[in-house]
Amino acid sequence: MSLKPTIGMETHVELDTESKMFCSCKVVETDEPNISLCPTCLGLPGALPVPNKKAIEYIVMLSLGANCSITKEGMFHRKNYFYPDLPKNYQISQFDFPVGVEGSLEIVIEDSLHTVEIERVHMEEDTGKSIHLGSGRIDSATSTLLDFNRSGVPLVEVVTKPIISSAKMAVAYIEELRQLVIDLGISKGKLEKGNLRFDANISVAEEGSDELGVKVEIKNMNSLKSLEKAIDYEILRQTKMVQDKESIIQETRHWDENKQVTLSMRTKEGSADYRYFSDPDLPNMVINEEFIKISQNQIKETPEKKRKTLLDTGLSLSDSNYLDKGQRWLYELYLSTVKETGDCKSTFNFLTGELQGQMRKADIGELPQWVNSEKLASLINLFENNEVSFTSAKDILAKLLIEDIDPKSFASDNNLIQSSDNDEIKALVTSVINENQDIVERLENPEDKLVGFLVGQVMKSSESKVNPGSVKEVLLKELFG
Amino acid sequence: MNKNIPSISKLNNLFLDKELKPSELFEQVYENASFTESILHAHLELFYDEGLENSKKSDERFLKGESLGKLDGIPIAIKDNINVYGYKTTCSSKMLSNYVSPYDATVIGMLKETGSTFTGKTNLDEFAMGSSTENSAYGPTKNPWNPDYVPGGSSGGSAAVVSAGSAVASLGSDTGGSIRQPASFCGVVGFKPTYGTVSRFGLIAFASSLDQIGPITNTVDDARIIFDNIQGYDPKDATSIKPEYTEPKNKKLKIGIIKELMQEGVSKDSQNEVNKVTQLLENSGHEVVETSLPLTEMALSVYYLIAPAECSANLSRFDGVRFGLREPASGSYEMMNKTRAVGFGEEVKKRILLGTYALSAGYFDEYYGRALKVRSKIISDFQKAFDDFDFLISPTTPSPAFKFGEKTENPLEMYLSDLCTIPANLAGLPAISIPTGLSDNNMPLSIQLMGKPCSDYSLLDLAESIEDMVSFNHLPKITKGDNES
Repeated sequence: MSLKPTIGMETHVELDTESKMFCSCKVVETDEPNISLCPTCLGLPGALPVPNKKAIEYIVMLSLGANCSITKEGMFHRKNYFYPDLPKNYQISQFDFPVGVEGSLEIVIEDSLHTVEIERVHMEEDTGKSIHLGSGRIDSATSTLLDFNRSGVPLVEVVTKPIISSAKMAVAYIEELRQLVIDLGISKGKLEKGNLRFDANISVAEEGSDELGVKVEIKNMNSLKSLEKAIDYEILRQTKMVQDKESIIQETRHWDENKQVTLSMRTKEGSADYRYFSDPDLPNMVINEEFIKISQNQIKETPEKKRKTLLDTGLSLSDSNYLDKGQRWLYELYLSTVKETGDCKSTFNFLTGELQGQMRKADIGELPQWVNSEKLASLINLFENNEVSFTSAKDILAKLLIEDIDPKSFASDNNLIQSSDNDEIKALVTSVINENQDIVERLENPEDKLVGFLVGQVMKSSESKVNPGSVKEVLLKELFG
Repeated sequence: MNKNIPSISKLNNLFLDKELKPSELFEQVYENASFTESILHAHLELFYDEGLENSKKSDERFLKGESLGKLDGIPIAIKDNINVYGYKTTCSSKMLSNYVSPYDATVIGMLKETGSTFTGKTNLDEFAMGSSTENSAYGPTKNPWNPDYVPGGSSGGSAAVVSAGSAVASLGSDTGGSIRQPASFCGVVGFKPTYGTVSRFGLIAFASSLDQIGPITNTVDDARIIFDNIQGYDPKDATSIKPEYTEPKNKKLKIGIIKELMQEGVSKDSQNEVNKVTQLLENSGHEVVETSLPLTEMALSVYYLIAPAECSANLSRFDGVRFGLREPASGSYEMMNKTRAVGFGEEVKKRILLGTYALSAGYFDEYYGRALKVRSKIISDFQKAFDDFDFLISPTTPSPAFKFGEKTENPLEMYLSDLCTIPANLAGLPAISIPTGLSDNNMPLSIQLMGKPCSDYSLLDLAESIEDMVSFNHLPKITKGDNES
C-alpha cells in the first residue's frame, strides 16, 4: 500500500498598521507589558469596535496579490471561546463572507513552477499574550501573567486548499507568501518576530484515493526549519501508524524543538463549536469597486511580477526565485547592472557569489553608496571581456567596497589590464616553447593537459598581464598550425 | 405631567430671569431624592458633592450671561448601565459591584458639554434584562404611584426618579421596551430614538443590534431637548448613523392603529387609551385607520432568540480576569467558572444559556438563523406600512403596572409585558410612550407612537400635540409635595 500525504496550510500574518484593528491604540513592538491599551482592546464594558480602514485596504491588497476574488459585502463574525488573554472572550473574525476567496499563488520548487490554491483570506484581531508561570500550560500554571499590547492587532489568515504534497512544497509556499506580504508592504514579514505564524493540517491516504485521511493539525510554528521537520516527522508518524493498522486520532499537536517530535496538545472531539454569528457591533464591510481600485493602486510589486521581470532578463527559474526572495537591494542592483552588462548569468554569479560573499566576509551590511550598477557593470565587463583576470576582478571589488574607485582606471593605474597584443604574446610564447622543448615534444594533440602547463608558463613569465585565452590561442597555432 | 418639577424650558427661563439658581434646583431635587429614596430605591448612587459643585458652576455661568443652553444646570439621572468616568457602573449586577469606569460614554461626554448636572446612577434589572427591576442584584425599585407595584423595567429606576421628582430627566436604555414600558408604568414620557442616532459607545451592551439610549422625561419637549443634545454620528460607534431627519408630507397625518396590538392579550384599559387618543386625533383633522402587521405576533419569539444570542457573547467579557468580581480558585478556568456562577443572577444566566443554545452548531439555523429571517421580514413589513402611514399607534403595554411578585413565577407572562414595544427595536424605529390616563386602580396608562427611521423629530411633534390634547396632569403618590400636603 502506497500512501500519499495531503497538507493544508493556515497562516496568520500580522499586519504592519500603525494602529490596532478596532481601536486607535498604537501597534507596539516592546517587551514592556500593557502599555498600549484602551477600553476597546481591553474588552471593558460598553466599549465598541470600529474597523481600521488601512487594515482593510491591506487585506484587499493581499487578497488581490494572492489572485483572489473580493467579497463585495464582507461580514465580521464573533468567534466565541473563553481564554484569559482574549479580552471579550470572543474574537472578531470572519466566517462565511471572508474578504478574499478562490485565489492561487505560484510557487517555485527548485527549477519548477507549481500552483497552490488559496481557499480564503480573512481578517481577524489578535489576542493578548499569556505567560503561564510554573508549567507553561494554562491548566497546570501556578499563575498566569497577561500582556494585552498585542490584543486587537490586525491579523490576516490565509488558508490554502488541502493540496500541498510535501514539506518542501509547504516551505516554498510560506516563502512565497512571506515575500508577497513584504513586497506589498503590508507586514514586516519577520518570521523570528512571529509576524507570520503557521498551522499545518496533515493527513495521509492511499495513493489514488479520493478521500482524505484523518487530519492532524500542527499548531503555531514560525520557522521554516521547524515547519519542514514537523511535516516530515508527522508524515512518517502517520504513515507508520497506518501501516501498523493503528487508527489516527483527529487532534492538535505541536512541534517540540528539543525532542524533534510532534506532541499531542489536545484531542478534538468533533470540531469545537465557536458559535459564529455576525457581529452586531459592526455593519457589513462593503468593499466597492473604488475601494478595490485604491487598494490595487497601492500594489507596486509582487514576487510573481518580480520573478517575471527576472526571467525576462534570461535568468533561470531557480536563479530568478533566489533573487526574488532575497534582499530588495540585491534584486534592484541585479536589474540595473544586467541592463548594462547584457549578461544575466555572469551578472547573477558575480553579484550573488563574489559581491555577497565579500560583503559577508568583510561584514558589510549595507552596500556603500558609491558602489552602483555602473561601476559593477564596468567591473563585470572588464573580466568578461578578458581585460582583467578573475583574481584581479576580485581584488578590484574588494578595493571598491572600501573606497570610491573607478574599476577601469584602477585596473590600468595598477597595471592589472591583461594584454591582448598578439605580437607581445607571440614573443612570450616563442620563448616558452624554446625553453620547454622536452615538453613540446611529448605533446600529442591540442587537448593535451600539458597545453595548460605551457599556458601557465606564459602567464607566469608575463606576470599575469596577458589574457590566458589569447595565450592559448597563439600557443596552439604555433604548435599545431 | 409632574407639576412638582417644571419643564426644562421653564426651568431654563427661571435661570435666565434669575428667579431660580441651578444649585437651588439641585438642592431641591436632592431633597426630593432624600425623601423618596428610602421608599423607592430608584437611585443606586447619588452624586451629591460633584452635582452640587457642577450646579454652582452653572450658577456662575447664568450670572455672567454665559449659559451653555437649555440643559445648563438641569439635574439628570443616569441609568447604571451607562459609563460615567470615575463612578461605579454596576448594571445592577454583583459582577460589577466594584467596577469603576475609566471613561465616559459618548452620551455622557455630550451631556457634560451642555452644563447639565448628574444626580446619580439609577437602578435597573441586572444587565437590563427584565421588565420590573425585580432582577436587580441590589433590590427592586418601587413605583412612585404605588409602592406595591413595579416601576417597570429595565429602566425602572430612571422612570421612577423622574416620576418622583428626584431628577428633572433621566437617561435610560431600550432593548425591547426598557425605556417605554417603565415610563408608561410610572406615568412619564419615554422616548426610544431611531437605532443609530444616539451613540451606544459606553452603554454596557445587552443586545447590540437592539440597544438604544434615550430620555425619560416629564414632557415631550423635555425629551426633545435631551434627544437634541445626545443625538448625532459618533465615530466610536460603527453602528452610528449620520441621520437625515424626515418630515411628513402633509400637515394632515395618516396614522395606523396596529390591529394585532388591539386584541386579546391587551387589556381593555390599554385599548381604551388608544381609542381615546384616536378620537382626539380625528377631531383635529388627522386620519386614523386600523392596519394589520401580522408578523407583530412573532416579534416576541424573534426577540427572545436574537437578544439572548447577542447577550450570550456580549456578557462573555465578565470573567473576573481584568475587572469586576473575581472568585478565588486554583486555576484560570475554575476562576472564570466560579466568578460567572456567583456574579450573574438567575435571569441573566437563563438568557445566556438560551442564547448559547440558539447559536450552537446544529441549532443555529433552526433558531437564531430563522429569527434573523423573520426579523428582516418584520422590517420590510414596517417599511411597507410606512408607505401608507406617517405614524403607527398602539398601547405601550398590554396592561398597567403589576404588583411585585405577580409575574416572577411566570416568565412568559413577564416577557409579554414587552409585546407592544419589541417591534420598534427589531425594526430600529423611533417610538415614544406618553401618559394619557389612569386605570381603575389609579395606575398610569400610556399610548405608544412609532415612526419610520429618522422621523424622530416629527414623531416628537405629534406626541407633543397629543400631550396637549390629553393634558395628563395626575401626580404620583410618592413625591415630596404629596407628603407635605
